[in-house]
Amino acid sequence: MPLDNLLCGLLETGVNKLHQLDSSAQQRRKMLDGVIIAVTLKELNKPLYFVISKQQIDILAKYEGQADCFIRLNLSALKELQNNHQLTRLIKSEQLEVEGDIQLVQQFAQLLTEMDIDWEEFLSSKVGDVLAHKFCYHAKQCQQGLSQQLKKIEKHSAQFITEELKLAPGPLQVAYFCEQVSELEKQCLQLEARIAQRLQKI
Amino acid sequence: MSNTQENTTHFGFKTVEEDRKADLVAEVFHSVATKYDVMNDVLSMGIHRVWKRFTIDCSGIRKGQKALDLAGGTGDLTAKFSRIVGKTGHVVLADINDSMLKVGRSKLRDMGIVDNVDYIQANAEELPFPDNHFDLVTIAFGLRNVTDKDKALASIYRVLKPGGRLLVLEFSKPLYRPLSKFYDFYSFNILPKLGKLIANDSESYRYLAESIRMHPNQDTLKEMMNNVGFEDSEYFNLTAGIVALHRGYKY
Repeated sequence: MPLDNLLCGLLETGVNKLHQLDSSAQQRRKMLDGVIIAVTLKELNKPLYFVISKQQIDILAKYEGQADCFIRLNLSALKELQNNHQLTRLIKSEQLEVEGDIQLVQQFAQLLTEMDIDWEEFLSSKVGDVLAHKFCYHAKQCQQGLSQQLKKIEKHSAQFITEELKLAPGPLQVAYFCEQVSELEKQCLQLEARIAQRLQKI
Repeated sequence: MSNTQENTTHFGFKTVEEDRKADLVAEVFHSVATKYDVMNDVLSMGIHRVWKRFTIDCSGIRKGQKALDLAGGTGDLTAKFSRIVGKTGHVVLADINDSMLKVGRSKLRDMGIVDNVDYIQANAEELPFPDNHFDLVTIAFGLRNVTDKDKALASIYRVLKPGGRLLVLEFSKPLYRPLSKFYDFYSFNILPKLGKLIANDSESYRYLAESIRMHPNQDTLKEMMNNVGFEDSEYFNLTAGIVALHRGYKY
């Protein structure tokens, strides 16, 4: 039991620390002032209650009253919640179940995901402008380089598998194979039709 | 002779007259009020936050209810309750000590909690509220310092609504012997020194350690709650019994 409390505590502290850095968070919390939202991850099957107030977000492991909105979702859907247009699609594919006002879910998802934190500004208050700029600049470059490298590696390993090891067919081979299959299908249909014709004659 | 014995009570390991205990406890808390939160974090290594969270989970408090945070001190529980009960609910922070109450009030106001909290200086033995008024009464780390515990419990029982609950979070008796040895060493040797270092007051923290030893253990306190009328009383040992949360219902 206290382990739950510990986790809730850490989560709550984390979320609120981030919110303190985001100047617009208070405005967004105001819209949901007094709302209680229950969130259950399907994998864990344990509800967490988010009590939203002007001052902060409180996270409880247990709440005996009625929450304003119940949300059940998969871990994988958590990431896609960021995009508001995805909500209906997620609900349709049963990755997300909502009981209550769907608008609340949208606002809640925005509250948690759309954090507009100026890390450079935050860092500059700690280590000074120059260092903060340098650090953020390099971090950004590293990130870009990394994503380029990843793309390259992906491409190379794909080529290695198809061309060198011949473990998997290349795209043209696959297309040719598909063509052959559909040709075969056509022939089969023709054959079937001819047999049916002959049978009718007899 | 017997008369003098009847009118005495314990103040830590000392025995004092009953009408002096409240003043002595008051002195302790006047002296530590400003450093109270820091000391809590240091002495319990932050674990008191988890204990308080567990208390809130057991409270069953919800929107629109009335809660009384007795001996609420610097208002940790009050702050949470105030956000959970919302605009339609009401929380009263009561403490017998005006220094603690002032620290609590300024802390909560700084946090922006103003709408639904009242601050009342009150003695737990004689609560200044009507009968059947609160859905929840909590007393966290306070019952130990009350002179007449039975009277306080009875008074709490009176102000609770039928269906309401009392939560008592208080130091208790550790479950395991080796732990209890270490705990004794910590509280009689290290704790007063830390108190001296941070709050410049070792006596108050010596009193804290002593008063914990004099506090009734888990089962005795449960019995005391049953005696004044609470039903379905139960307790949860936290951190191997160093702290216990007692819960009782009024039906």
